[in-house]
Amino acid sequence: MARHHHGEGQTTVSGPAPSPEMGGGHLDVFGLTDVGKKRTANEDQFVIARMRKSLELEYTSLENTEALDQLGHSAARLLMVADGVGGSFAGGLASSSAVEALTEYLGQTAGCYYKFDVDTEHEFLDQLEGAVQKAHERVQSHTPKGRGPATTLTMVTLVWPRGYVIHVGDSRGYHLRGGRLRQFTQDQTMGELLIEEGVMTEEQVRESGMHNVLSSALGADYIPSIGLLDFRFNDVLLLCTDGLTKHVSDDEMAAILEREETAESACRTLVDAALDAGGTDNVTVVVCRMVAPDE
Amino acid sequence: MIQKKICMVGVFGTGKTSMVRQFVFSKFSEKYHSTVGVKVDRKEVDVDGTTVKLLLWDLEGRDGHQDIQTSYLRGSAGIIFVVDGTRRETFEQLFELRLVVTRAIGEVPAVVAVNKADLVNEWQITDEQLNALDDSKWHKLKTSAKTGEGVEEAFLWLATTMAKGRQP
Repeated sequence: MARHHHGEGQTTVSGPAPSPEMGGGHLDVFGLTDVGKKRTANEDQFVIARMRKSLELEYTSLENTEALDQLGHSAARLLMVADGVGGSFAGGLASSSAVEALTEYLGQTAGCYYKFDVDTEHEFLDQLEGAVQKAHERVQSHTPKGRGPATTLTMVTLVWPRGYVIHVGDSRGYHLRGGRLRQFTQDQTMGELLIEEGVMTEEQVRESGMHNVLSSALGADYIPSIGLLDFRFNDVLLLCTDGLTKHVSDDEMAAILEREETAESACRTLVDAALDAGGTDNVTVVVCRMVAPDE
Repeated sequence: MIQKKICMVGVFGTGKTSMVRQFVFSKFSEKYHSTVGVKVDRKEVDVDGTTVKLLLWDLEGRDGHQDIQTSYLRGSAGIIFVVDGTRRETFEQLFELRLVVTRAIGEVPAVVAVNKADLVNEWQITDEQLNALDDSKWHKLKTSAKTGEGVEEAFLWLATTMAKGRQP
């Protein structure tokens, strides 16, 4: 995985990903974050990581090495975005410590799940939840509960063709199939909570500003939402922070994801759209295209 | 402790997510969120002194043009088919849905939850139609995700049946 830093506060991570476990297809993945036009610090983070088995066959007397070869190829993809809150330094600390803890913990514990397996996937989901709890504790370790920084988290672990989703806060995940974009996460904000409880209408929530107040975040009280999605070739997955969604409509996002031919160009166009529309917040996107074998 | 996976199956907007929310969190929301993919929740129940951990898979509702993604059904020990009592077509599609499920995972214990019992005055499904289900070996219940009527009963019947390994 190559990590690049360049101008305008942007950080990108990219890398080609030929995937034998996808029957010759591959994932085209890219991530981009930008400080935006108004903020002085970037409190967003993203991670794109490949979790793979490390066995690489050198010599053997075995005739059939297909199964062993698979151990060197099989891989899961970890994609996540996080948006820290709590002030310029503290918010950044929360999001970075959360994604660091998640990546470390999953690297150590999720080592046995690289192939979609219905019999063991609930154990895997338990491991993912355990990792999120570790990340929460890591964020909390910086300050007393409820008084310090916190962070959103939207994470997809992709074990082709299944994506395991864990979501906390108001960053978002979207799924594009056949030109139709659908949000598969639900914002965990006080506004949503008050609407669901019947205390406020959507209009009242907008006027009160409660749509911006998190009801669930790592480092504070949190309730992870867990789900999964099965992908197909030509699907597109988008993870993003609210720096994108407060400026770019779902229709615009769908058009960009549909039009752009690479994950990198989609990320750049999405971020540019958010900046052109005001760029009032940090903006972070991760795009994953499920590329069919013949492309 | 034993662990059992239950899938919530039905046409979109029948109240699958609301039933799970009522069962797990004792809450109901009037705001409709369509489920994309699967939402997973868990709840432990007691069946004759044995703890049964229910893994609740709330499947995206079928919209009439789209088949259930049968890969989500694999490993399921029980099914709750959810019908909206105020929409006749959700009842009519029940038989097709059952066929899809049976082809995918065989016969497993199943409940038919005829939901929105709080709106019974608006129902488009008659008692005669419901009684016809008796021939189908389904355990049927009138439920309301809003008031909680029949919701716990539906899950507990399924948990008990699965735990005891009864045939549907």
